Amino acid sequence: MSEPAIVIDAKRVSDLLDRLPAGEASALPEALRAAQAAFRHVPREVAAAVARRLSVPASRVFGLATFHGEFSLFPKGEVVLKVCTGAACHGRGAPTLLDELLSKLGIASGGTTKDLKFTVETTNCVGACAMAPVVSVNGELRGNAEPSAMAKELLGGRS
Amino acid sequence: MIAMDIDGRRVVTEEGRTLLDAAREAGIDIPTLCHHEALEPFGGCRLCVVEAAPADSRGPAELVISCLAPARDGLVVRTASERVKEARRTVLDLLLARCPTSDVIRRLAAEHGVPRTSFPESTDGSKCILCMLCERVCAKIGAHAIGGAGKSRGKRIAAPFDLAAEDCIGCLACARICPTGHIGYEETDDERKIWGRTFRMVKCEVTGRPLMTEEQRSFEAKRAGLPEDWFTKCPESKRRETAETIAKAFEEVR
Repeated sequence: MSEPAIVIDAKRVSDLLDRLPAGEASALPEALRAAQAAFRHVPREVAAAVARRLSVPASRVFGLATFHGEFSLFPKGEVVLKVCTGAACHGRGAPTLLDELLSKLGIASGGTTKDLKFTVETTNCVGACAMAPVVSVNGELRGNAEPSAMAKELLGGRS
Repeated sequence: MIAMDIDGRRVVTEEGRTLLDAAREAGIDIPTLCHHEALEPFGGCRLCVVEAAPADSRGPAELVISCLAPARDGLVVRTASERVKEARRTVLDLLLARCPTSDVIRRLAAEHGVPRTSFPESTDGSKCILCMLCERVCAKIGAHAIGGAGKSRGKRIAAPFDLAAEDCIGCLACARICPTGHIGYEETDDERKIWGRTFRMVKCEVTGRPLMTEEQRSFEAKRAGLPEDWFTKCPESKRRETAETIAKAFEEVR
């Protein structure tokens, strides 16, 4: 099996660039958000193309891409699991849940599986303490379950 | 016209000056790390903290950052009171924890009565205090080659994507302005290495000494609207040429 990769085809890049107002530096955050959505990361060549399109220095694009947590320089998984580490979730088994996810997937916190299926991160309190322990699954909150069972369910039978 | 009392002295300055400007004009020293006359005030290092109060204030004076605080008529400023010294010690205590390997920070801290930090020392060996002088001077020049990357404890100065800095012109402004010597470079008569790039040096056509990098010459010429080969001689050669021209002119007159 070959290494999976996220294809950065010219068509998608040019579509992304065409939607950006040329020379408009204020469109930078939106441009990076679009890149992150399209490629599950901000690829270097896309960042460079965005910099040219918006007439923004590459150093600024890199600064912004590394500043905001929503941007990543490396491809994230199809499913991004964010385990809440707030006090309530901690008390209701978030550490166990996190450990099980990580050990089952064989990655470290913040890491992504080789097949680019899963990324596991932690997050500060998401404000849904009543359903602790909470996991954000591609932005949707899940919770209210026993940690081990939850880990199993989230990984969908993957051992 | 603005008249203030700085350390018991009457200091007169103009609208638009900062407390730091006014104090330095009057010969009163305030330590700084992130300040440079050629750049906008930044307020990053917090070392220039002073105490300031309006003359009619009955409340306590405020601690303000003198490189940012505008001069105002009637202000009573203290640049070396116990409170200021204590605040400055805290700043240096923190800087020392961040850069325990920096001679500049160690010496500055020692001079202000902080022989060692009371915080856990950083172990990454970095001498960067994140004053952003390098990024700011690079932007001022117009190269925008390097900048801050990451955030919080992971913040650092970097070239885009940590690769060779494509927009760098090898002018060394960043390395020379860096107060702690964090930005390294290598240099011979023929080439200069910085930010992952190797630049060829242009030589003075008279003395043969390195003048600037080829990229810097193109950049400066373009910016000033001059021909590409404008920069051919080092300042010393130019001065000598001028002197010789003048001497010759005098001889002709005589």
